[in-house]
Amino acid sequence: MRKWLARLAALGVAVLIAGQGTTAALAQDPSAGKKILKVGATQAMDSMNPFLAVRLVSTSIHRWMYGYLTVPDSKTLQPSPDLAESWTTSPDGLTWTFKIRQAKWSDGQPITADDAAWTFNKMMTDEAAKTANGPAVENFESVTANGQDLVIKLKAPQASMLENPVPIMPKHVWESVTDMANYDAEKYPSVSSGPYIAVEHKKDQYVKLQANPNYWRGKPKIDELQVIFYDNPQAAIAGLKKGDIDLIGRLSPPEFEAIQNDPNIEAWNTQGRRAAYLQINHGATTNDGKPLGDGHPALKDLKVRQALHYAIDKQKLVDEVQNGLAKPADGSIVPPLYKDWFWEATGEEKVTYDPAKANQILDDAGYKKGADGVRTMPDGKRKLEFRFSIHTDTPIEDKLAEYLTGFFKEIGITLTTKKLDSSKFTEETGVTGLFDIAISGWSVNPDPEEVLATHLCSRRPAPNGEGGGTESFFCDDTFEKLYQEQLKELDRPKRVELIKQMQERLYTQAPIIAIYYTNDLEGYRKDKITSITPIPEDKGLLYGGSGYWPFYTVDVKATSAASAGGGGGSNTGLIAGIVGVVVVLGLGAFFLTRRRKSTADERE
Amino acid sequence: MTTPLESAEPAVQAAGPADDRPARHGTLRYAASKAGGALFSIAMVIVGTFFVFRLLPGDPVRNLAQGRNMTPAQLDLERHRLGLDKPLIDQFLDFVGKTLRLDLGTSYEYKRPVLDLIGERLGPTLLLTGTGLAIAVSLGIWQGTRAGWRHGTRFDRFSTGASLVLWSVPTFWLGLLLMMVLGVGIGPIPGLFPFRGIESVDAPDGFAYVLDVASHMVLPCLTLVAVVYAQYLLVMRSSLLEEVSQDYITVARAKGLRDDEVRRRHAVPNALLPTVTLVFMRIGFVVGGAVTVETIYTWPGLGQLFYEAVRVPDFTLMQGTFLLITVAVIVMNTLADVVYHFLDPRVRSA
Repeated sequence: MRKWLARLAALGVAVLIAGQGTTAALAQDPSAGKKILKVGATQAMDSMNPFLAVRLVSTSIHRWMYGYLTVPDSKTLQPSPDLAESWTTSPDGLTWTFKIRQAKWSDGQPITADDAAWTFNKMMTDEAAKTANGPAVENFESVTANGQDLVIKLKAPQASMLENPVPIMPKHVWESVTDMANYDAEKYPSVSSGPYIAVEHKKDQYVKLQANPNYWRGKPKIDELQVIFYDNPQAAIAGLKKGDIDLIGRLSPPEFEAIQNDPNIEAWNTQGRRAAYLQINHGATTNDGKPLGDGHPALKDLKVRQALHYAIDKQKLVDEVQNGLAKPADGSIVPPLYKDWFWEATGEEKVTYDPAKANQILDDAGYKKGADGVRTMPDGKRKLEFRFSIHTDTPIEDKLAEYLTGFFKEIGITLTTKKLDSSKFTEETGVTGLFDIAISGWSVNPDPEEVLATHLCSRRPAPNGEGGGTESFFCDDTFEKLYQEQLKELDRPKRVELIKQMQERLYTQAPIIAIYYTNDLEGYRKDKITSITPIPEDKGLLYGGSGYWPFYTVDVKATSAASAGGGGGSNTGLIAGIVGVVVVLGLGAFFLTRRRKSTADERE
Repeated sequence: MTTPLESAEPAVQAAGPADDRPARHGTLRYAASKAGGALFSIAMVIVGTFFVFRLLPGDPVRNLAQGRNMTPAQLDLERHRLGLDKPLIDQFLDFVGKTLRLDLGTSYEYKRPVLDLIGERLGPTLLLTGTGLAIAVSLGIWQGTRAGWRHGTRFDRFSTGASLVLWSVPTFWLGLLLMMVLGVGIGPIPGLFPFRGIESVDAPDGFAYVLDVASHMVLPCLTLVAVVYAQYLLVMRSSLLEEVSQDYITVARAKGLRDDEVRRRHAVPNALLPTVTLVFMRIGFVVGGAVTVETIYTWPGLGQLFYEAVRVPDFTLMQGTFLLITVAVIVMNTLADVVYHFLDPRVRSA
């Protein structure tokens, strides 16, 4: 026993010595006195090359690094000047002229229209460069530069021209890249025109960005922005609680509840940019109209889809599946965050929870209930038994499935859950049509054109299974016509009206049923971040928002010398870093005592 | 590992005398035949890997698109870039040829050679799992020996109980628990150790860097040790128990040797043999890293790389890491066989 006490004491001494060492080391930390913001991310970066990167975290970082033609205005979310300080459109809507701002790249070179023209031309001529934002240039006839003027000629009018999602790249740095598909752009410091310059990237570990002194709006208030990656959301939450990171976005309701009562953390709960909806296989077809997949024939009947809609208690789903952190949907896929575009059903058209009415609709349409309480098709051949496809790794969808099963049972419809891993899910619900009802959701950009386009006839897969990108296999003449009209409509209020009519069409035809708009859930350290402006400014998003506004306006307390390493309590720094020493000393002590003992044995 | 050899006489006594010289030749021949077997297994694994990963659901190109709208031309380009437009047999021959030249292809997602990615991750993995294994083995053998020797005592009951509990606890849960208690801190316990990555983002230089990495290793290492050391303990304990009942132990005791010496010089070396096999088998898996532990603590090792590859899914990367792990396991198993053969004369005569 005494021997053990001695070992413990030795361990204690080792800890102290190690602690001293770490403190000394931390005192010289180069980050002391700097203003650093650490953002946690649970998704790894796919590529630093903006022509290739598609993940949300990558495109967010690129938005902080590069300038675009326009950015969403921080108050209205409408397009406002960025690298293009002004623009004009020809009367036929086919020629757009952008005046590029007199500004400098982070390496001091001037930014010209040539840079923008090079970027777009690269995408139009090099298939690999189309990877990330291909559709954005599909309608471009030609792009030319003349001094600071950028002229884009279109094949057909395109009202969403001002929401161009392509970052403008420095021609003088990028024109030497020959193999775009295999270029990872890991060259630091990056040459950028946005508020930040990337200075270091360790794969799956972190990205370090520094304030760009040449930024046209002026240098950001903070010196450094770090994006720190976590493989596991629980670890990221723990990191926020400890102060290893200062801000984290995209939380799920349970994760959000875990930070809600922490006095140091501001739990940020606001309207989100996502809609969750049910995708209904109402007769999937290829883009040449051939039937596809094995959807239940009853779902082709609009009456059945409407009955399903009436049977869903959306408020209950919000309260019990989303823990109250969502808004029930009475519209389509554009969430209420986008005030301008948001459409909501009213009056007769509005579907409210009413199982009696749902039963009535089905009774009237001839779907009779059998002895087991399950309805059959009017021809008596098939029971109304639907499959509900969800993802294997999303517990919240399991819960949703349970509730929907209950709701549909009330109206004589059996729902069975079918769990699929994400690749299989994408294939069955978007390409092969092997589903009845599936969960879906989409994050919507400030201009909803692209998300509405996922319901166009042309987005259905080709007969060979190629192409596509459909969300519903929807193909509806009225919807198509409205889409074409809004494309040509350069008058914003008129265009808004057309887009609302498209949403109404989706609502009444019910190829999809929106169930709720999930809130944007984030959290940040009150004791670190002194000010941050969301986008839109009144009550908007932080990390999850579009554009760089929150990360340009953010201000933080400077790192103090004492807590430089961990960011959290000084104990962290003091006691951390010991184990190597402790293990070595501990093992050393252990073997020393053993040695002495064995020689004693020998002597005996 | 020299001790068991030098003190192998009791085992020889137990199994009858073995002819030394032919046995050495035998070991070589044995090693050669084992190596042949291993090469065959590796060849089968290469073939298997190719086909298994093509049986997985999902179109890799479409997965890469992650739901974005891609034109048929773009899809074709991607297919061509990844070599997926060639006939299956050509793809297969291509794959085998490249694998033999140690070219594991280019990762779909990272757009970099798989071998480079693996190379970057091998170091952190070996550091973490190697340290973890060393601690788990020493702790397991030490505690197992004590427990077996003092069979039925409170120490034995405690050790066996505790290790069984840790063995059955889900790694993920234990990792999170340790993260909460020792990482974030609960109540009066302050957060002691970092729980993300291998180093701080603003890592210092020199000796302080070593300390920084060491502090990052504490929690993943602890988790790893807690869940794997039980098997060493239990194997060591049971094989020691077996040895204790052998005649040579009675003989050693009758010679008047001290209890301690009987244990260390006679019983333990013989009881170590099954543990040696276990250790070698483990080393194979060590190369693959500990997927769960690396994922909990965002440790930039092979386990994390594999997890990321499965999540995408990135077929070439999955294929490459899978191949590496399997080959490591095969090689280590073969080595274990040979070493076992070398260490234990009973195997030789068999």
